[in-house]
Amino acid sequence: MRQDNLSPVVPTTRREFVRGMGVTFAVGATGIIGACSMEPSGENAPAPAGGRNAEITPNAWVSISADDVITIQFGGTEMGQGTMTSLPLVLAEELDADWDRVQVETVTGHDPVYGNPAFGYYGFPILYTAGSQTLRGYFNAMRQAGAQARRFLLDAAAVEWGVPVVELETEPSRVMHPASGRSMSYGQIAAIAEVPETLAEVDESEYKSADEYRYLGKDVARIDVPAKSDGTAKFGIDAQVPGMVYASILRTPVEGEEPLEVNDTAARAVDGVTDIVSLPYGIAVVGDTVEATIWGKNALEVTWSETSRFRNVEQTRELNEYEARARDLNFSTDNPLWQDVGDIDAAFAAADQIIDAGYRTDPAYHAQMEPMNATASVSEDGKSAEIWVSTQTQSLTVMGAADALDTTIDRITVHPMYIGGSFGRRAEFRQKYVDDALFVSREIGKPVKVIWSREDDVKDGCFRPLAAQYLRAALDAEGHVVALQHRVATPNVLRYMNEPRWKVTRGPRRTSGLSMGGAGTTRYDIPNIRAEHLNMDRCSRVAAWRGVAESYTRFALESFIDEIAHMQGADPLAYRIALTRNDPSGRAVLEEVGRMAEWSRAREGSALGVALSEFGRGSVAAGIAEVSVDERTGAIQVHKYWMVIDAGFIVAPRNTEAQMEGNIIFGLSNALKERITISGGSVDQSNFYDYQVMRMNEVPEIQVKALSNNKPPGGVGELGLATTGAAVANAVFAATGARVRELPLLPDRVLAALRA
Amino acid sequence: MASFIINGESVNVDAHPNTPLLWVVREHLKLTGTKFGCGVGQCGACTVHIDGAATYSCLTPVSTVEGREITTIEGLSGDGSHPLQRSWIAEQVPQCGYCQSGQIMRAADLLANNPQPNREEIIAHMSTNICRCGTYSRIIKAIERAAEEA
Repeated sequence: MRQDNLSPVVPTTRREFVRGMGVTFAVGATGIIGACSMEPSGENAPAPAGGRNAEITPNAWVSISADDVITIQFGGTEMGQGTMTSLPLVLAEELDADWDRVQVETVTGHDPVYGNPAFGYYGFPILYTAGSQTLRGYFNAMRQAGAQARRFLLDAAAVEWGVPVVELETEPSRVMHPASGRSMSYGQIAAIAEVPETLAEVDESEYKSADEYRYLGKDVARIDVPAKSDGTAKFGIDAQVPGMVYASILRTPVEGEEPLEVNDTAARAVDGVTDIVSLPYGIAVVGDTVEATIWGKNALEVTWSETSRFRNVEQTRELNEYEARARDLNFSTDNPLWQDVGDIDAAFAAADQIIDAGYRTDPAYHAQMEPMNATASVSEDGKSAEIWVSTQTQSLTVMGAADALDTTIDRITVHPMYIGGSFGRRAEFRQKYVDDALFVSREIGKPVKVIWSREDDVKDGCFRPLAAQYLRAALDAEGHVVALQHRVATPNVLRYMNEPRWKVTRGPRRTSGLSMGGAGTTRYDIPNIRAEHLNMDRCSRVAAWRGVAESYTRFALESFIDEIAHMQGADPLAYRIALTRNDPSGRAVLEEVGRMAEWSRAREGSALGVALSEFGRGSVAAGIAEVSVDERTGAIQVHKYWMVIDAGFIVAPRNTEAQMEGNIIFGLSNALKERITISGGSVDQSNFYDYQVMRMNEVPEIQVKALSNNKPPGGVGELGLATTGAAVANAVFAATGARVRELPLLPDRVLAALRA
Repeated sequence: MASFIINGESVNVDAHPNTPLLWVVREHLKLTGTKFGCGVGQCGACTVHIDGAATYSCLTPVSTVEGREITTIEGLSGDGSHPLQRSWIAEQVPQCGYCQSGQIMRAADLLANNPQPNREEIIAHMSTNICRCGTYSRIIKAIERAAEEA
């Protein structure tokens, strides 16, 4: 069995951590050749005869060894989206590297040098893999790093040969001088070159053009796939640290309560249980084995406080309250404006006709396959820690751990492991599973692995928030929509997920895309638009959830657009195409998905519904669902789903298709049956038997297409998910005439709409 | 003490008889390719073979495998060369990858008993296992490819 080197080493320089602690993935023509190999390479080897260096590091992102191995740093984390391959591939492309000799290292810990430029709100970029921003945010940085290193190698070769640099070319990992027939590998140059302290920036005009690409836009295999096919990929839960013990935590049944009285006699009697640790939010049972801690936890008798405001939360009552607020045009909260274009008040005052509707969505659970877990080793003084964890963010995990231990970030080391699904779940500032491991390790003085049960993961889940929306449209005498008002009553997700970030960004932005993304529209030609956030008290813990706010805002908006189209007697697809008259991308995806689905062809017993969504700046998707409805039971069957996206240049076509399929399945699963309910402040569901997600036998036939072009690449990991709810609801209307305005589209809701 | 054969090797494990085989495999024997997903036989991430049959290790007390043969993802081929592992790579099945050990072990059980399953048989057999990333269509393709190439 492969042994992970998980020795506690605190990095002092980038190069030390690169060599000492990074998880290395070597890629080759046949895929991976060594996962989790942590042996020192390059740097510790002697320089070759006649050369000065065993390895050079032209910039922070790439190093080149004398034996032609190129090591590229990955500043994100890999949770299935594929950027651990696609980001290094962008650098390798500009470097003109031989991809078969590239290895990738995930950056350990927080170092703004590796931060995503798209997340600069702290005043420096952070390592944060979220919002489908990884490829988009790092694209230029990767191109620059690759082009800069290539330029350096060309210049060094020119000096070595005494020829003008303009006479030189590159082949993968090799500099060529065609005039003399000479060539040197990048490794040979690395052995003799002298690297200055800093390299000049390469002008963007020198980047490769798309038609010169060897790797981008082609089907390059993902580097993580082989290790995920033979069991060697190491996820957070797989961490094995010498001397570690286990802990299971009995958590408060209702948020905000605390243990008052604990009878742990039976728990302590369980063979293998060694310690019981009190936490502010629960009781940790510590032991030599996982099973002992689980049995010990089950044997605890705890009396909890009963003072939390969450005890009063009854979901339906809360949602009714949200909806009343959304519908009350005189009601507002602080800083509500997400979008404000033109003058809607004047437009509504002058309207020939006003149409309105309300929409409701239940909370949704991430249901990622790897339950929350973390392994931590806290120093004797309680002020330093090393953490092994599946996290979407090295930076926030470091900052949150420093906050938890009341220490400084330089004393926290985070090893980001492969993530067994996340979908927004592991991106908070204070990650409770990390807190668990830190607090218990500090208390008992040993490394601790904490594993949440699936029931813990559901009951203590951080959900897509409850939301009620109210939409109004003003129509002129010709029936054109001249104003749109989109009021969203939902909690402030950012404030709960990351209060420090909320504090630094709440100024001019006013609200957050985590609550309001997708509200209003930038695609449709409507002259006056106002999208407002009515900031409600949260009814549960909340988090971003794949597709984020779009999954509910677009359910409402695209259902509403459909209602307007039908009211005007217009075809819903043609109506949207007309509304995108000023948006070629939106129009193109609508037209193409309509062609793929043969929109105009009459169906026997089924009907089509369409929806448009966007995610991340510049990316747009259109989806069409074909459904039939059992009018006796209210059950919806989705037979087919088509989706077309425009996410700019498609770096990884095959992976993009996989992401699109994943978005459709995730979205349909939620739209058809996923529902969290909260009673008396506690979550009613427990596990996959009462929070069911889509299985293979429920998946419809799916066809997807990405329209690649030369615009900068956008994200694809969440794009299009938000088409699903509205496309299915719109198809249900087309099939039955019943309009379901509540997500998920449960059979009893369909039946109620059929009877309405 | 429990004694059984795992991936061809005889082992003795000092674990309480009620311990789920899952935790014995993952944390006692450090064979972490087998995953914990739900603990109640709903997701299939923990699937291993017991005497050749795909089984939820989370629901299997270690006392019930005394003397029996266990195969985990690490022992399926030893070197990643099982036809399903090769087809998993060829079809680029995994996304997050967490469920895939269980998917492959489940699929291996299918092919062992039905070397040429049709699409309906694949779906019926594999619907025990959840993939939240939604890799289902590629799992089907990879099983079909492995059946074809075997």
